[in-house]
Amino acid sequence: MSDEAALTPVARSAASPERTVARAVSDPSDFKNLFVLRGRPSRQAEALVALLACILVIALWEAAARLKLTNPIFLPAPSTVAATFWQMATAGDLLYHSGVSTLRVWVAFLLSAVLAIPIGILMSSYRIVGAALEPIVDFIRYLPVPALVPLSIIWFGVGEETKIFLLWLGTFFQLVLLVADDMRRVPHEYVESALTLGARPRQVLSDVAFRAMLPNLVDSLRITLGWCWTYLIIAEIVAAQSGIGFVIWTARRYMKTPEVMAGVIAIGIIGLVTDQIIRAIHRRAFRYL
Amino acid sequence: MSAPYLAFDRVTKTFGDLAVVSPPFDLTIARHEFVVFLGPSGCGKSTLLRMIGGLETPSSGEIRLAGAPVGPPDRRRGMVFQSYSSFPWLTVGGNVLFGMRYRDDLSSGEKRERADRYLKLVGLADFASAYPNRVSGGMRQRIAIARTLAAGSDVLLMDEPFGALDAQRRESLQVELRLIQKTDAKTVVFVTHDVEEAVFLADRIIVFSQRPARIVSEIDVSAIFGMERPLALRDEERFFHARTELLRMVRHTAGVDP
Ligand SMILES: Nc1ncnc2c1ncn2[C@@H]1O[C@H](COP(=O)(O)OP(=O)(O)O)[C@@H](O)[C@H]1O
Ligand SMILES: [Mg+2]
Repeated sequence: MSDEAALTPVARSAASPERTVARAVSDPSDFKNLFVLRGRPSRQAEALVALLACILVIALWEAAARLKLTNPIFLPAPSTVAATFWQMATAGDLLYHSGVSTLRVWVAFLLSAVLAIPIGILMSSYRIVGAALEPIVDFIRYLPVPALVPLSIIWFGVGEETKIFLLWLGTFFQLVLLVADDMRRVPHEYVESALTLGARPRQVLSDVAFRAMLPNLVDSLRITLGWCWTYLIIAEIVAAQSGIGFVIWTARRYMKTPEVMAGVIAIGIIGLVTDQIIRAIHRRAFRYL
Repeated sequence: MSAPYLAFDRVTKTFGDLAVVSPPFDLTIARHEFVVFLGPSGCGKSTLLRMIGGLETPSSGEIRLAGAPVGPPDRRRGMVFQSYSSFPWLTVGGNVLFGMRYRDDLSSGEKRERADRYLKLVGLADFASAYPNRVSGGMRQRIAIARTLAAGSDVLLMDEPFGALDAQRRESLQVELRLIQKTDAKTVVFVTHDVEEAVFLADRIIVFSQRPARIVSEIDVSAIFGMERPLALRDEERFFHARTELLRMVRHTAGVDP
């Protein structure tokens, strides 16, 4: 072959991965670091410790259940929960209910975002908007969502609107303040540079300030989306016929604890996956950071 | 003396009951002059500079540029800050192009040409497609300078632009800035509290008292060194001499401030 010479460096470097793998697993200094006050971070060692801790907790739980130290009605074994989860996902309609819940969460979340982003931006950009809205938003955000369920039913009945409204209520006012804060944190220098480059105030907002706040805004949206999922149960125990909240609530009525736990785990998995996807997009879109 | 291009006319400035510029402040700056404001921190240098840029308005009095009172900020008066001077989400070239974003008088071809020219002028041609976080702090300040020049500013307002740089970068940027200012024929008002920087860069140094800002003295540096400021000037006896003299004066006016 004519490009044998070109292959030589590849062949040489092929020997090294073996070494690095061996080092990564067994480098004693990595583990020693874990015990040093403010020690250097060592990703692999820490991941290993995290994994072991998880396994330990699950193993203890499993053992406690197997040895009948706990009442299975209260605390079924993790293996039982996992089996139930699998059964519900494949044979049951957990996927359908997850889909319904996801749809509700996203509708409410987008409704929150679409309204909160411009309002939050204006609150930090123009004193008049901030002065008028800040006290109102600050007050409403402390109203407990569960306490507003009756009011919501009076207003919207027991259909989809109530569920969306409750999710929206739990997130919108928080998000407005997060967005306002993201905008407030845009350095003055960016705004003033743009002004001295000839931008009009509105152009400063759209071309510079918004662009500068964008990475933080995406983070705020990600956090808010997480909150939506925490309010989902409250929204879906209101006369719902579908959704993960409905699944959990129905299972509770018949004391099917493994199903309750499987439902909770479904929410956890969806939340975690969404969060990781948005984080990945964030990393990719804002490489310049 | 040439006609006043930029003029402070009995300007005062107070923030609430904090008098920053008082008694009334008068100063004229000639076209293409390089003026350095030197004074202890907190004395009001930035406030004066920002009033030229239209980022603050005088409490009384007037600032005139080419005969007309200055209004809100526009691209005739470009500002270069010490930090957050370039936009991190744009490439180096994108930053310089942004300087012309609001110029309708240029075609996109002309904008690109101009961007290339100014990138070359500040020595960033090879970094046009890099993001600011990948280049040094000194290069980030060059981006801001090129962006402002590309915008077509007549007056460069620089607020301690090299304050965060290490000594070597600072020196080479000073040499370049002085060259750029002469090549591109700009009027520069440059704020610093660094005596050596002031002596090296300025045609004229305005030395301020502590707050409220008053002029303690004016030094015509060009009368001593002329217009050319090669790096080698720093090693000359007369540079040392001027620097030491100014340092003594500043120490004197600063009082307790070390
Ligand atoms: N927007 C403002 N509001 C209130 N006080 C201000 C404002 N800007 C500056 N000051 C005060 O005015 C004084 C002069 O500030 P500045 O012009 O930044 O000084 P320098 O640039 O010489 O260090 C300082 O005491 C500062 O705290
Ligand atoms: Mg200052």
